[in-house]
Amino acid sequence: MRKRAIFSTIGSAVYMGLGQLINGEWVKSIFMGLYHYLILRFVIPTLRQTWWGLITLGEAPRQDHSIVLLSYGLVGAIVTIIVVGFYLGNIVDAYRGGQRRDKGHPAPPIRETMKEMVQKSYPYFLVAPAVLFILFTVLFPMLFNMSMAFTNYDLYNSPPAKLVSWVGFENFREIVRLASWKRTFMGVLSWTFLWAILSTFSCFLLGLFLAIVLNNPRIKFRGIIRTILILPWAMPGFISILMWSGFFNTSFGPINQWLNAIGVASIPWFQNVFWARTAVVLVNLWLGFPFSMALVSGVIQGIPAELHDAAKVDGASPWQEFTRITLPLILYAVSPLLIMQFAGNVNNFGVVYLLTGGGPPVLGNKGAGGTDILISWIFKMTFDLMKYNYASAIALLIFIFVASMSVVNFLQTRAFKEEDMMG
Amino acid sequence: MTENIVQLKGVSKIFDETVALADMNLSIRKNEFVTLLGPSGCGKTTTLRLIGGFEQPTNGTIWFEGKDISNVPSYKRRVNTVFQRYALFSHLDVYENIAFGLRIKKLDEQTIRQKVGKMLELVNLQGFEARDVNSLSGGQQQRVAIARALVNEPEVLLLDEPLAALDLKLRREMQHELKNMQKQLGITFVFVTHDQEEALSMSDTVVVMQDGEIQQIGTPEMIYNEPTNAFVAGFIGESNIVDGIMRQDRLVDFGGARFECVDVGFERDEPVDVVVRPEDLVLIPVEQAKLTGVVRSVTFLGVHYEMIVDAADGTGWLVHSTLMEPVGTTVGLGLAPMDIHIMKKVSE
Repeated sequence: MRKRAIFSTIGSAVYMGLGQLINGEWVKSIFMGLYHYLILRFVIPTLRQTWWGLITLGEAPRQDHSIVLLSYGLVGAIVTIIVVGFYLGNIVDAYRGGQRRDKGHPAPPIRETMKEMVQKSYPYFLVAPAVLFILFTVLFPMLFNMSMAFTNYDLYNSPPAKLVSWVGFENFREIVRLASWKRTFMGVLSWTFLWAILSTFSCFLLGLFLAIVLNNPRIKFRGIIRTILILPWAMPGFISILMWSGFFNTSFGPINQWLNAIGVASIPWFQNVFWARTAVVLVNLWLGFPFSMALVSGVIQGIPAELHDAAKVDGASPWQEFTRITLPLILYAVSPLLIMQFAGNVNNFGVVYLLTGGGPPVLGNKGAGGTDILISWIFKMTFDLMKYNYASAIALLIFIFVASMSVVNFLQTRAFKEEDMMG
Repeated sequence: MTENIVQLKGVSKIFDETVALADMNLSIRKNEFVTLLGPSGCGKTTTLRLIGGFEQPTNGTIWFEGKDISNVPSYKRRVNTVFQRYALFSHLDVYENIAFGLRIKKLDEQTIRQKVGKMLELVNLQGFEARDVNSLSGGQQQRVAIARALVNEPEVLLLDEPLAALDLKLRREMQHELKNMQKQLGITFVFVTHDQEEALSMSDTVVVMQDGEIQQIGTPEMIYNEPTNAFVAGFIGESNIVDGIMRQDRLVDFGGARFECVDVGFERDEPVDVVVRPEDLVLIPVEQAKLTGVVRSVTFLGVHYEMIVDAADGTGWLVHSTLMEPVGTTVGLGLAPMDIHIMKKVSE
């Protein structure tokens, strides 16, 4: 009884539209057959070229440009997935059509098939441009970057003079095996995490403190103070950072001059790793606390006054009220944002690069200075050391880390939990 | 039984320039269900907050079991509050919300578990211990709020419009439950509402307030049947309030006719307010009626019809009747002497 379904499925697997022909849907069959012919005749030969390029990354130096072949290869791969998708869709359609016939339904009339095709394809037709745009502006660069992490693309293996080849996980292995790279990677990695923690929490704690102080109605001129404190946020970040890099200048900067004036010796802000790191954290704090302050102020003002009354009735002291009611409610509200800020600080390129340029230099390090975090090290690896492969490998690691944090964070949000929030 | 538990003596409260409460005297007896009733801004919530200790009176004193507690902080008063928007701690689960006050008092875990368990039983929420308060329905949140207040074993429970956010059916249920809880626990409830029906159905005593002043204190029956002035009459149930002139004891003129009534003690020819409940007006044949009018509108309300009858002098009489006359018909309105309530004009 299920003969037709099996035959038409096999038919469509052999040649698109054949199964539909077996099912008597000959208009569909003609369209699909024509599509299959055009693909075979014009698209597959080109695709075959891109596959060859993607797999070999070229065979003759100066003739084949590996990086161009890689990019064509990735475009080809995306197109291949689309073509295969259509092919699989055709088989599924043939199977369903066959099943319908097996159950004794007649083949749908031509008019109905046409109508159904137009109706079904209309939404896909509308979103197709957007999907293509996303595929080639988001997915393509990401794939391109990721694939470089698995090649030997660096200063010594650069087209057109040399070919680039696939090396599998060799880059990842080398970063943690070669002594100088390993040392640099571990050093930068640990400072990156320390930096992300320090910068996130310093901003949050200062913002929290100021928000709570400024929420007290006994403080005078709260509006003016709040406005002044919000100003660092309003200034373009890179201008502030460059200004601060002048302030911290060891020889001429006003900070050291003031320190001298009160009898403290000059601090080697940009020459000593510890002080350079301190400066970066301080400048980031200056840039970042207004946001946390505004955020926490909003949350505090959103806590109903009744909640504080309720705590007071039950005998809570002001400190208990803060630690048991206010603070948990603030954390409850801002913790997703804190996690995102942490992820953002892992990739906070601007402050490090513009303030210290990653310096001071550290002897024996592969390109990374004392304040370099992973992202600024990646920048130096691409532009100074031309180690595109290592840079891509580390970028891939950061991507996996930040993406998984964001996904976990997103899954934790209320919007994602199917709960009746406001009862 | 008649011992006073809370007394307000000459209490007034002034916020900046606004007088929220003016020279209020109120005695609340033990085990009583007292309702403060009035429109918004009448000072009922301020009264509650003064008793709860969230505000200090500008003048006057507050007494609790014969002691002046005007300057005692709220947590030392044997009073607890159920807030209008429940004020649950959204970062704690049901159990921890109820246990909050006990933890502040640093009771041991076993006592806490026992007391919280008893409260959950009282408010019918057994098995809800670990639930997130945000996932509860409005009625359940309300129960948690009540349990959290009662677990501290107050002598007086203050409830600030606790049922305002619930839908009608749930509100009826909670009214019953609250009333039962109050009887079962044998403590004093001070209940604030702007819903007159709620006040009448639940209270032992109703305190009607307006503009920071008490208009009338009495049992629900007294307040409804014998309102002391036009405001109370208008606020408690629907009323027809018209101008009249008291000719002599038990005789009043209004609506272009002379009526017998039961009120005495007014001056001769004194202008008064005449209050007639819509359900006390009956449709009678025109030729027998002193009051006549044309039916302007008819609305069917289930139990009865609500009609507006326009009299010749322009007064629109609100009539509740199980019978109806079509719009445009001329009808007569009859009323018994005891259904005419005469009130002194409130001096403007």
